[in-house]
Amino acid sequence: MSNLPIEASGLVRRFGTFVAVDHVDLAVEPGEVFGFLGPNGAGKSTTVRMLTTLLTPSEGSARVAGFDVVRDAAKVRRAIGVALQDAAIDPLMTGNELLRLQATLQGIPRAAAASRGAELLERVGLTAAADKRVKAYSGGMRRRLDLALALIHQPRVLFLDEPTTGLDPTSRIALWEEVRYLNRGLGTTVLLTTQYLEEADQLAGRIAIIDGGRIVREGRPAELKAQVGSPTLRVEVEANGEQDKAAAVLAGFGEARPAADGVLAVGLDGGAASMADVVRALDDVGITVASMELHTPTLDDVFADATGRRLEGAAGDGDGDDGAG
Amino acid sequence: MAASTLAQTVALSRRSVVNIWRQPQVWVPSLLFPLLFAALNSAALGKVPGQLADRFGIHPFGPNDRFVDFLFVATLTQGVLFGSLSGGSELAQDIESGFFDRLVTTPVARASILVGRLAGSAALGAVQALVFIGIFFAFGARVAGGAAGALVLPVAAALLALAIGGLACAMAIRTGSVEAVQGAFPLLFITLFVSSAFFPTVLMKGWYRAVATHNPLTYMIDGMRHQVLYGFDAGQAARAVLVPGALAALAIGLCLVTLRSRLASR
Repeated sequence: MSNLPIEASGLVRRFGTFVAVDHVDLAVEPGEVFGFLGPNGAGKSTTVRMLTTLLTPSEGSARVAGFDVVRDAAKVRRAIGVALQDAAIDPLMTGNELLRLQATLQGIPRAAAASRGAELLERVGLTAAADKRVKAYSGGMRRRLDLALALIHQPRVLFLDEPTTGLDPTSRIALWEEVRYLNRGLGTTVLLTTQYLEEADQLAGRIAIIDGGRIVREGRPAELKAQVGSPTLRVEVEANGEQDKAAAVLAGFGEARPAADGVLAVGLDGGAASMADVVRALDDVGITVASMELHTPTLDDVFADATGRRLEGAAGDGDGDDGAG
Repeated sequence: MAASTLAQTVALSRRSVVNIWRQPQVWVPSLLFPLLFAALNSAALGKVPGQLADRFGIHPFGPNDRFVDFLFVATLTQGVLFGSLSGGSELAQDIESGFFDRLVTTPVARASILVGRLAGSAALGAVQALVFIGIFFAFGARVAGGAAGALVLPVAAALLALAIGGLACAMAIRTGSVEAVQGAFPLLFITLFVSSAFFPTVLMKGWYRAVATHNPLTYMIDGMRHQVLYGFDAGQAARAVLVPGALAALAIGLCLVTLRSRLASR
């Protein structure tokens, strides 16, 4: 193995007979934001927990910041910053107290900890709330404090496990800005898990899509979308009984794609230019179209192409943090 | 212990103490309920020592036949037992909330996490003892052993707090459940009542007396009580301190083994 910030080879984690992570390989480059995208229960959090030394792999190996996560776990812990799912922060303590505690646990001298803590609080916009107990913080404030805690020792590698889950759009965008600053401004390598397509698209230079514990696609977002190929045309017909007839017509324009119930989807081989031909063809066989939408490929299309299912709209489903997330 | 390990342990201990202080619902009941119980007991049985002395010429409640002096150590022990569970509950809460994982992903020594948490229990136990001493003194109780005898009480209380806190922490690490730790409350209650805490063993009979006589709490309570009722005695003081000390050592050992096993089995 080389000295990449994060690398994993054949990583497996079983819980009894259930395989949560199934032979995952990773190679994250220095200074990269790497997105780990997948639905709840896909294996994202379990992978992060192995990489952050919280779980022992059942099989395979992984190195973080150049250290083996099992043999050199203590060295890994010194090199990483971790903000786990649900922002686990003691609600009885203040932001300042938690930063001081975290600094001490990271072995930072008191004077350095004070200035670093103040700087971080300012950067995440929590200076005014620094002496308030965390139980009075909003979800967004907790996430920002969580991020500040993960950064107190200026880690080389930062793990963010679903950092914006449950946040309002404004807080989400503010956190994205902070991640961008960390990566572009400070060169921190970031591994980010998310179930939000837009988040992965916005932040990650490269993405791995994980489903059922396996990485099903990996690459730059633009490359992955391009691999899906042609844009998807989604058609709803007015009469339910005409769906089969419409599907037969659409088959002449490209391959059928997964879609929600009542909707027909086809990858348009001729691109957007062939839309008019589709409308004419449907009209020629007497089918009345209720709605028609053309989608250029998104990460959801990439996910659907890889798994046969849609990720969009599934964010609230699933098993939550069951150890297999 | 390296300087940073010491600093980490102190920082975690401070957090533990501050957290307890900021949750009056944790420490107020362990102060109030034993006092309430003492008041009820005193009202119901306050005349018993004098009557036993008058009718039978025996003094199982101490040479001065004062029930308040006898109850003093029982109340203190009761408060410490119940308050000490909080250390385990707090640790289970940390595990449930994920804060424990945050600690484990830092380079902190694993033992520091435990010691920090147990320090809160020990501090609460010692403070409880001092508060009870103050309140019982206000109600006329006296420590026959003077300052030396009185000193035995918070030391024994702190060690008992460590022992119970250690067991509660081991349970927290094993189960990761606040409810499971709090479920130990009735067990502590029974253990306390089947001891010499509220009644002298010489007045008990049958299996109850046999169990109470061999209950480790009885050894500790009798050692503490000797300082209050009869005067300072080094042997009794050692008994008051060594019994909870040994229990604390066992509990902390169990705690460390449980923690190692939990982290290894992940």
